[in-house]
Amino acid sequence: MAEESSLRGAGWWRLARELDPFRATWRLFTNVRWAIGIIAFLALASLVGVVVPQVPVAVRGDAVAEGRWLNVQEGRFGFLTGGMNSLGLFDVFHVGWFIYALGILVVSVAVCTASRLPPIWRSVNRPAKRVNDAYFQSARHRFEYETPAGASRLESVLRRRLYAVERYEEGDTVYLFAERFQLAQLATFVSHLALIVILAAALVSRFSGFSNGMMIAEGASGPVFPLKNPRQMQVQLLDAVGRFTPDGQPLEYSSKLAIYEGGEEVKRCTTTVNSPCSYRGYRFHQAAYFGFGADVQVRDLASGNVVFRETLSLASTLPTPHVTVRDGGGDVLLDETMVLTDVLSDDQFTYYGRLVALPGGRTLTIGARKAAGQDEWRLAVFEPGERSDAVRVVLSEGESATAGGLEVEYADLQAVPAEFVPDFPLPPDSATGGSRSVLLEMSNVVYGTETASEGTAVEPAASAGPPELTIVGVRPQALTLRPGEKAEAGGYEYSFVGQREFAGIQVKRDRGDYLVWLGAGLLLAGLLVTFWVPRRRLWARITPARTQLAGHAGHLVNFEREMAEMARDEGGIVDEQHGQEGDE
Amino acid sequence: MAEDLRATGPVEVDESPQRRRVWRGPWRSVVLPIVAVGAIAGAIWWLDYRPDSGSSPYDARYGPVEMPAALVPPGMAVEAKVGSLAPDFLLATLDGGELRLSDLRGKAVIVNLWATWCAPCRKEMPQFVAAYDRYKDEGLEVVAVNVQESPSIIRPFADDFGMKFPVVLDKRSSVSDSYRLIGLPMTYFIDREGVILSVFQGPFLEQLRGTRVQGAIEEDELTRRIQEILG
Repeated sequence: MAEESSLRGAGWWRLARELDPFRATWRLFTNVRWAIGIIAFLALASLVGVVVPQVPVAVRGDAVAEGRWLNVQEGRFGFLTGGMNSLGLFDVFHVGWFIYALGILVVSVAVCTASRLPPIWRSVNRPAKRVNDAYFQSARHRFEYETPAGASRLESVLRRRLYAVERYEEGDTVYLFAERFQLAQLATFVSHLALIVILAAALVSRFSGFSNGMMIAEGASGPVFPLKNPRQMQVQLLDAVGRFTPDGQPLEYSSKLAIYEGGEEVKRCTTTVNSPCSYRGYRFHQAAYFGFGADVQVRDLASGNVVFRETLSLASTLPTPHVTVRDGGGDVLLDETMVLTDVLSDDQFTYYGRLVALPGGRTLTIGARKAAGQDEWRLAVFEPGERSDAVRVVLSEGESATAGGLEVEYADLQAVPAEFVPDFPLPPDSATGGSRSVLLEMSNVVYGTETASEGTAVEPAASAGPPELTIVGVRPQALTLRPGEKAEAGGYEYSFVGQREFAGIQVKRDRGDYLVWLGAGLLLAGLLVTFWVPRRRLWARITPARTQLAGHAGHLVNFEREMAEMARDEGGIVDEQHGQEGDE
Repeated sequence: MAEDLRATGPVEVDESPQRRRVWRGPWRSVVLPIVAVGAIAGAIWWLDYRPDSGSSPYDARYGPVEMPAALVPPGMAVEAKVGSLAPDFLLATLDGGELRLSDLRGKAVIVNLWATWCAPCRKEMPQFVAAYDRYKDEGLEVVAVNVQESPSIIRPFADDFGMKFPVVLDKRSSVSDSYRLIGLPMTYFIDREGVILSVFQGPFLEQLRGTRVQGAIEEDELTRRIQEILG
């Protein structure tokens, strides 16, 4: 590349210049190969960041969690894991060398752009209006033809084509200088500025982007920032809605939110997956939905105070077999989808069961049993006692059997939302007191509640009636409550306030988004102007015999064809002499 | 219009000025572009971090305040550390009043930093309610400092859980900062002279199955610390 300097001097002078760190830096940053190298490096790093698993956001910053995550990666990458972690390959877009490379590219583009500004600015504002006659023979784009008889009309032809024309006469030779849309040359700086803005957007996102996810129960609130922050806001979930097809496919999730700031409610809005709420640059996205929450309250009857109030997420499931028991005469003694409340498990099997008292005095232990490593839940029905014809059957789903004068049918297996809840308060006069882990199961549920969602039973079709919450472990016999119902146990009152839904709300703020849009707009504008604005610069030498045209134009322009058209417009006789063809 | 161009003289044409780079000295070629990039970065940073306008107004009176000199014994430090005087503050209460910590001098005070969204805080609160009911006649006061929540969110919780002690609103978290809050819940036990005798960073011990413990704070531990500040 040409370099406007006086380096073509003595060797020592060049050497002295080369030792100038500023000059050396400038040479490096204005070198196109250097820029291409940086871009290629970043592209390769980005590819690595896409292909290699990256540290999840939730784990980043937590040394213990990161260590566990790396142990998992060791199963895939083996002995390479340590080295890859040291190089930052598991967190490419946040590692120092990637950020530095982005920063260096930004500075390089800025220095390179600044170094090219003077010649381009001079070209735009102080063009060479009078060129050497030799230029008409050497120009990349040139054309000549026989000057038509009479006064040359080339000037008017050029003006009609929106050229600004200047004229110079030297004897019987007329020189013209014509140009149009020369400011379009500056579009290259717009494109370079776009690159800087887009790179800046990446850095802005890296350093000031914010993202935090919350899972909030209806009626509850959560902080946008962990712990405290001068900009702290709370998000309260007023209503979570999930809509499903009859076969359980999700159609839409939405959440009605109240946003608080400085202790005051500042906004109410509804957010959906595709249309987030916005407040002061923060976007509140609908990210998740979960329909099986139970609002449970425990009150101390002595003081009247609440000692426990939580909306519990019943994220697990327990098997609920549909069992029918008939007597010898065919009368139905039991027909129920059974909520199982007794839990037994060891290394060999898992068992959930319940004692059932049949009309007529017989008692059965009915349960679902699964062997370790197996998927099948088998129904086990046992009758305690010493009867010779006691019921002892084990059935697979869909089977039935007759024993002890009873027909037992295992119609099908369903599932209910359930969860073991640690630290659940026990009645103060219970043998253990304090708190312990209890089992909560919620049967008769649909996605959503009848008052909040257009829910539809997913599997199976729910029985008529509201959901029922079974609490196992606060007293010898399980508590089963419908919404609004209360039960007393040992000085505490346990109530099932109702089924509640959860919404996952992702709060994001990224000023880089706006910069990306700006950068994209600038890039588009710069490219459009560079490639589509028909800027031209033309010199003409007109003698009585010949007219010579020479000039230059933007990219991808067949300037000779335009020159030939100008010649024909003027009425000149076009011969076969052309300059070098422009690009097609 | 014709113009005499002879003054410019014929020159060579540079058809590709964008391919040329011009060294104009270290300042204009290197330093100035870097300064320009820095200025753009600074502008973006300022746009991102400038104080937001339109935020909810909040009474500037509330927050940490200077301890009255008469209440500071000579040589006594005022800071959120064991053995020092507890920093004074003035905050609005949930009931619409206001509370100044130094006005409680002469009482044993538990300052509990909490929020309704904090699950361990919710589990602990019944213990403070029970402790207040049990020891208030002996001079115990509990001050529940809520961190940056709205009264409309706090009030239902406070009513349900029977929080009869002052609930104060640290809307700007300035008091939380002065009390070195690093996680919720956090509890300061302050004696009748205003001296911090102990600090408890929650949550407390894990639940001990089969023993008589209630909530997140082991009852014996809470009782011990309360009796320590009651003197």
